[in-house]
Amino acid sequence: MNNSIKSLLAVLFGLIAGAILMLVTGHNPIEGYMYLIQGGLKNPERIGNTLATATPLVLTGLSVAFAFRTGLFNIGAAGQMLFGGFCATAIGLSLDLPRGILLPLMILIGFVGGALWAVIPGFLKAKYNVHEVVSTIMMNWVAYWTVYYVVPAYFKGASLETESRQLPPDAMLHQQWLSDLFQGSYVNLGFFIAIIAVLIVAFIINKTTLGYELKAVGFNRHAAEYAGIAVQRSIVLSMFISGGIAGLAGVAQYTGNASSIQIGILPTQGFDGIAVSLLGANTPLGVFASALFFGLLYSGRGFMNAMTEIPPEIADSIIAIIIYFAATSILIERLIHKLKVRRIANKKQGEQDHVDNA
Amino acid sequence: MKKGVIALISMMMSVVLLAGCGAKPAAESGGSNGGDAPKANFKVGMVTDAGTIDDKSFNQGTYEGIVKANADFKMEYKYLKPAGTTEADYSKEIGNLYDAGFKFIVTPGFKFETAIFRAQDKFTDAKFVLIDGIPHSGEENAEPVVKENTVSIYFAEHEAGFLAGIAAALHVKDGQAGFIGGMKIPPVEKFNWGFQQGVNYANENLGTKLVINKENVVYQGSFDDVAAGSQLAAQMYDRGVNVIFAAAGGVGVGAINEAKTRAQNGSEVWVVGVDVDQYEDGVYEGDKSVILTSAVKKVDQAAYDMIKAEIEGKFPGGQSITIDAKNDGVGLPEKNPNLSEDIIKQVNEVFDKIKSGDIKVAGEKGDLID
Repeated sequence: MNNSIKSLLAVLFGLIAGAILMLVTGHNPIEGYMYLIQGGLKNPERIGNTLATATPLVLTGLSVAFAFRTGLFNIGAAGQMLFGGFCATAIGLSLDLPRGILLPLMILIGFVGGALWAVIPGFLKAKYNVHEVVSTIMMNWVAYWTVYYVVPAYFKGASLETESRQLPPDAMLHQQWLSDLFQGSYVNLGFFIAIIAVLIVAFIINKTTLGYELKAVGFNRHAAEYAGIAVQRSIVLSMFISGGIAGLAGVAQYTGNASSIQIGILPTQGFDGIAVSLLGANTPLGVFASALFFGLLYSGRGFMNAMTEIPPEIADSIIAIIIYFAATSILIERLIHKLKVRRIANKKQGEQDHVDNA
Repeated sequence: MKKGVIALISMMMSVVLLAGCGAKPAAESGGSNGGDAPKANFKVGMVTDAGTIDDKSFNQGTYEGIVKANADFKMEYKYLKPAGTTEADYSKEIGNLYDAGFKFIVTPGFKFETAIFRAQDKFTDAKFVLIDGIPHSGEENAEPVVKENTVSIYFAEHEAGFLAGIAAALHVKDGQAGFIGGMKIPPVEKFNWGFQQGVNYANENLGTKLVINKENVVYQGSFDDVAAGSQLAAQMYDRGVNVIFAAAGGVGVGAINEAKTRAQNGSEVWVVGVDVDQYEDGVYEGDKSVILTSAVKKVDQAAYDMIKAEIEGKFPGGQSITIDAKNDGVGLPEKNPNLSEDIIKQVNEVFDKIKSGDIKVAGEKGDLID
């Protein structure tokens, strides 16, 4: 509960800071925010688009949060997402199976692909204590260039230059009844993958021995080792799951929100996942809520641009400022703590004065 | 945590309510000082491709064309910047423009092909201008479909590259040339092939000896890696290259930076710019620039012409137009301070020959260096 108050305060500060930026640049913040929210929620199509935008963010946020609980800073969600999405796309383009088999297979392979990309840094960390921040970032670029060379070589579309062939309809998470429900939005089954992932991760972290062990390693590695927990195994396993979830984000992005994989671009959702995770206080439900918030910002932004005189660059800065403040919820914790301490000190001081006076 | 979610939602609701109180109609912009020019009764919107509005290339060129049209026709205009480069990102911004009443939409870059393919059916009362691409579904062997409300515009980049090759060969006379490309996509490839043909033509007919070695033709693979552009340029200059044709966006900026550093240290190196006149970008001292010339494609002119056509009721909907030397849409900049009078004269002669069809520049690889 305390955590959610902190996050909400952070969001509030972010919105205020964004409003100040709008005021400084001579725009009306109330109007700006109104169109921002309308852009994300005005009609079913826009709501659907907001959910679709939030889907990969839920998963990358969850990925970062999961590793964080084991004390690992997985900054490579972007690469894991890219590679997971690439593996799923490759399966979708190569195999001709009924939809009921193909989709689960793609999701599974996507998970494994992302997991593979994270296990390597996990192993290096466990075995040789190589810092995971460095190794996961390096893996980002390995994924980037792997996709860059493999996609044009084996999966190139005839009329498309910088992306793979389009996935056949049966190999996409796109579902007609869902699009109809949201009046033509591109929301897809990926959103349900995200929800299921949130529930499973919440279960693992809170209700299982594995979750308990991972958390113990996160709190204090040496104490956990002393207590008989296999720390190295926990680190590798945590990275495996974390990377797998990021891989699912890739599945949702490239076979759901998009219908092909593009080369020469590292998905921004990977890095946004860090902010999503921080704002969500590293808890699964918190991540879910904060990803929806981010999705709203990203999908409403264009409408705000279109309806007001706020130029896109300022809008980007406004979003960045909101995220910046939102990600500093940890500072807010300190602020609250400081205020509390001061109040107690004041109280004591008051009592002291009282005694002295008496 | 559940309470947190509820609180979050309720907070958003309150923001909506607050926002509702302060709502007022969107400010009317754009003066109405009449004038003689016909006044546009439509709003022009633009969605940028990957990259910023001041990319010295496609986005900027298109936008400048729109701004120029605004000076003449006083229509409202606006550009939006998509959050990513997927079809969904593009479609979202096109929808935003449409919802805000911008029903004449210009999109620069082939990446918009599939988004425009869907948009031209979804928004039948809007007009679309797709520069450097043609709408198609993206499926295998899909036929391009240009609906009545869409125009697709191509450029003959190879002709601009050809002229740049002639100018480079005539200026350097005896030496080596190199090429740095961004991603390996048709417009960039056509610049490359045209450049090589131009150099070959000059070597055969105009008495120059400019050599292009295979290792000096490189596609970096992106349009934004400035550092990589500097490195590639440094390698080429170290191998004895005198002039580099950089058709590579931000990568080309890196090449220009490297050339500037070398020029400051006294060595004579050149870069041929691309898309727009990049002379100003290459200035390293006073008004001296490392930009020998630029292979220009007049994107701004294309955007302007389409808006003008719409105002005059002559929007060429359903067509695919190629802009080339014949309609002065590609070529070298008007001013080339680094080229001598004589060279400019010879280049102009070649330009006229391309126009008249005496010289044919191939838009294919043939037996050129890939």
